[in-house]
Amino acid sequence: MEDFLLRLQESDFGVWVSSAPTIFAYPTILMLHTVGLAMIVGPAWVLDVRLLGYGARLPVEALRGAFRIMWIGFFINASTGIALFISEADDKGLKWIFWVKLLTIALALVVTTRLRRTVFGSGVASDVATPKARTLAKASLFLWLGAITAGRLMAYIK
Amino acid sequence: MLLTFASWLHRTPISLAFQNQVAWLWPTCETIHFAGLALLLGVAGMFDLRLLGFMKRVPISVVKEFMPWALVGFTLNLLTGMIFVISQPAQYFGNPTWWVKVAFLIVAGANAFVFETAYGRRAAAIPAGEDTPMSLKIIAGVSLISWLGVLVAGRFLPFVGAGVGAGL
Repeated sequence: MEDFLLRLQESDFGVWVSSAPTIFAYPTILMLHTVGLAMIVGPAWVLDVRLLGYGARLPVEALRGAFRIMWIGFFINASTGIALFISEADDKGLKWIFWVKLLTIALALVVTTRLRRTVFGSGVASDVATPKARTLAKASLFLWLGAITAGRLMAYIK
Repeated sequence: MLLTFASWLHRTPISLAFQNQVAWLWPTCETIHFAGLALLLGVAGMFDLRLLGFMKRVPISVVKEFMPWALVGFTLNLLTGMIFVISQPAQYFGNPTWWVKVAFLIVAGANAFVFETAYGRRAAAIPAGEDTPMSLKIIAGVSLISWLGVLVAGRFLPFVGAGVGAGL
């Protein structure tokens, strides 16, 4: 395992990402990872607080488009995340907090797809969230916060 | 002058207190700063998209009801950002990229001020389903670009220009 991680990190691509003396390598990839974060978590939280009753005059149906922004953000962050991981595979891959982050994101994705099916799956979305939708909204709120927290802590926890 | 101010700030009791807590304070503030940016960009971005002509069926005033959440995000980021700057003033004052971030912040703030004072009432009066005037689309575009600029400059801070003020 560690041998594999080391080979990833020392691959041409891994070395380019981590050490190419250009702003377009590590800095830009890391920046895009933050743009993607905002595109995923921002719309997710807007939908979550609406489902939990805030801004009730806003038709939930109007937020259907949020998922398109979230998926674009997710595509950006999966791609940039893989690139960032390869560049520091031998470090990040051995950190428990990295696997906590991945687990949190996996759970958040499950919750998000279930939320979409529950709220938008059958015709026009209802403006009153069912108890199930509210539970999923709460889970989404905390899981995305957890993913951000674990991601940030990757720079600090050995 | 900036150098004097930075070194004075660095020796103030509040800065020293932050510096001594840095082991846990810095990661906590960073986490809040990232959550805050997601909240701010998510809510303000939705409002900008509405002004650009998305979600036309929803009255602008209804989308605006979410703006307090953007303000929560902004306040969190202003507070945590101030903690960063007070802890390590020279690291920021000496970095041109930080000033680019501040410039984008000023543009975003001035743009929001212009919207509130000159266009707020007019925007609220636009009936649902009607196209927004070019002036509001420009304000929305400036808002999106300047907040994105704040994020990009913020993220580039440690990589671009960090060496410039190393002696400060």
